[in-house]
Amino acid sequence: MTKSKDKGPFASPVDRRPFMAMTAGAAAAAGLSGKAYAQGSRTGVDPTKWTPEYIKSIAGTENPDTAAECYKVVPKDYKGRLTYWYFGPTQASPQIEHDIDKQFWEAFKALYPNIQVTALNLNYNEMIDKLRTSAIGKAAPMVVRLPILAGVEFAAKNQLMEFGPEMVGHSPQDFWPGALKSVTWKGKTYGVPTNNETMALVWNAGLFKDAGLDPESPPKTWDDLVAYSKQIKEKTGKSGYGMVARVNAGNTPFRFMPQLWAYGGGALDEAEANPTYKSIFVNNEGSRRALQASYDMYVRDKSVPVSALTNTQNENQDPFISGNLGMMIAHPSEYAVMLDRAKKATGDDKKTAEAVVANMRYGLVPAGPARRAIVFGGSNAHVFRPDLVDGGLDVNAAKAIIAFATGPEWSTKMAWVSSNPGNVRGFRTKWMKERIETIKFLDVTTSMLPNGIPFPVVPQATEIMNIIVPNMLQNVLTQKMTVAQASDDAAKKIKELLSEL
Amino acid sequence: MTLATTEPAARERAMPMPRRRGLLQRIWHHRHDYLYVLPAIGVMLLVIAYPVYYTVYLSFFSTPPNLALEDKIFVGLKNYGTVLTAESVHEATWNTWVWTIWSTFFAFVIGFGAALALNRAFLGRGLLRGTLLVPYVISAVAASYIWRWIYHSDFGVIGALSVQFGLTERPINFLDDRNNVMASLIVVNVWKEFPFAMIMMLAGLQTVPEQLLRAAQVDGANALQRFWHVTLPHVKGVTLVTVLLLLVTNLNSFTIPWIMTGGGPAGASEIWITHIYQIAFGRIRFGLASAYSVILFIVMMGLGYFYVRALTSGDERTPA
Repeated sequence: MTKSKDKGPFASPVDRRPFMAMTAGAAAAAGLSGKAYAQGSRTGVDPTKWTPEYIKSIAGTENPDTAAECYKVVPKDYKGRLTYWYFGPTQASPQIEHDIDKQFWEAFKALYPNIQVTALNLNYNEMIDKLRTSAIGKAAPMVVRLPILAGVEFAAKNQLMEFGPEMVGHSPQDFWPGALKSVTWKGKTYGVPTNNETMALVWNAGLFKDAGLDPESPPKTWDDLVAYSKQIKEKTGKSGYGMVARVNAGNTPFRFMPQLWAYGGGALDEAEANPTYKSIFVNNEGSRRALQASYDMYVRDKSVPVSALTNTQNENQDPFISGNLGMMIAHPSEYAVMLDRAKKATGDDKKTAEAVVANMRYGLVPAGPARRAIVFGGSNAHVFRPDLVDGGLDVNAAKAIIAFATGPEWSTKMAWVSSNPGNVRGFRTKWMKERIETIKFLDVTTSMLPNGIPFPVVPQATEIMNIIVPNMLQNVLTQKMTVAQASDDAAKKIKELLSEL
Repeated sequence: MTLATTEPAARERAMPMPRRRGLLQRIWHHRHDYLYVLPAIGVMLLVIAYPVYYTVYLSFFSTPPNLALEDKIFVGLKNYGTVLTAESVHEATWNTWVWTIWSTFFAFVIGFGAALALNRAFLGRGLLRGTLLVPYVISAVAASYIWRWIYHSDFGVIGALSVQFGLTERPINFLDDRNNVMASLIVVNVWKEFPFAMIMMLAGLQTVPEQLLRAAQVDGANALQRFWHVTLPHVKGVTLVTVLLLLVTNLNSFTIPWIMTGGGPAGASEIWITHIYQIAFGRIRFGLASAYSVILFIVMMGLGYFYVRALTSGDERTPA
């Protein structure tokens, strides 16, 4: 039913140039340590199995019939109404994401012509606030695609319907256990994972060369990253690392928590083998070392953008494409973003941008003394309770969109350049094969999956990750507090927060 | 307002003052008039009184993030205690006063200065007046984003120029420095607000009787004396109203600090409203945010009282 259009994104590769030095990703993934194996137990991603080679070998081995699968759940002629909120492509997204989003809605319309859809594409940072308000005002959407961090809060408030993969014809085995855990509260399931991803380290090999660093070798540890950042600043005058420390912005925890976890820290004990979410790690030795590393880069070495305190990741894109930033943590989609920007640039800017794109490399996020870590991110589809939905809930319409969006086809396509399919059957599809063949650096970010650590599954996770942790970071970077004071202050706030339960 | 003819005033003094009616009696006396405004009163009760009541009601409850609003827990006055003793509130209060007082002062002074300049006839006055109004008509959201880029600590225009002209070695850190951020935001706020003060004061200046100024000039008063003894007394009322409106607007500010810094870095530009917003929608503590709002409401009511007094001063002397 979703036959590729001749000039659609699934027929036109993002980039067909031969893979360049192709990063440390594949090699490093093959040599994953025992630590990574232990981490894999938290996400359910077995690092000995989910190697880039394995992913390549299974891609294209399954040809799902999306229409048939969906019609088993909701018949084609079903007539209904659907309200759907999601965080889709923004102005900072590559064009390909806009194209796929458009095709998604066209395909759904073709599949269920009698379901009237009102879809609202919200900014990631606005989504949660608006949803909280609308749920209180009994004007929530029927279905929402929420960041992985946020769903549990709504489940704890009893605002979501019990809704699991089985309700839309999928098996729980089709999803990563770590992803299913993020939709589980007190033993009940409240959603279906749509996509799951881990990010990687992106660097500008040209800037590395100018700074006297090996252009093909990313920093292996966070201590190395601090040193590399300093060297880039000293030798080139450009910012070394794209730190992000804005409060109330999802980008901050996605970039700072890997550092915190790598040094052996955390907000709670989410990085431990069997997290209880009752122990506070934010002021332990590891967390303090991570904070000190950030302090060293921002205050001591001045090797990161001064604007890091007000920046989101979007504000790192322009400095990177203009050759003014050496390293950053990003999705695989960052490459597509840079290609788009290079195409739009003119004159000398175009030459610079093209050089940066050619010099762009992806590698594993640095390890720390405790582990290599990255946020096991993604999003989940949830259904709101009928009494909280404006105009009532149309369960079948909700089932139809979730069956469609979380099936192997569209969970792969909707994650085209930025993520991975939430439904692991997506890895077996021809679309996954096309992704692997056409999207540069995809396997590097996929190689980070076994190092993924999910955010704590507690209702307070949003406040901890988006407010308390970034505030702790800002308190250190502005020298309002010492590292010890800031981490103790954050620990006190988390303790108070947890004691409210 | 002070131009009431002397004849009725003298009559008033001569006659014994009638006993003032009570509020209920006056309402009853004007009951037909009230019927005309009843629909408007109904709407106001719905959109103003009910939210105020609900905010006060909610301020006595705890609303932790794991509970739905209907499961809120009664905590009495605890939220008020928390707000009044929290260090972050003290910091936000200090920031709010700094923000409000300096924004009001500079917006008024610059606005009044511009009004005085525009009150004189000169070539291009209309064009200048229109140009000076531009910041006022620009959307606050758009202005905030533009200024955020102008100020950007790495790639801002001001920073680039200061480095290019050798004034500084590195771009000036406007928004990411705790010491500079509030002053930087106040500049944007003053830029946005001074045209309002300018319009108000220009309107006030145009009511100053020309013959009084001429008479003062004939009597030998110099420009400063004419301004001090004739112009200022005449614009006293509009000055009071303008300053009060600026104070209230600045105490209620949200857009500029929220968009430009989100209250950061490290709370250095957190003011009351952004703090309340953060507590309510970032931390989902509606009870706490409500208590905070009630306290702010009381402060606002105090200012509102002076505002109404300023607006109605003189009315009470007008014969019924």
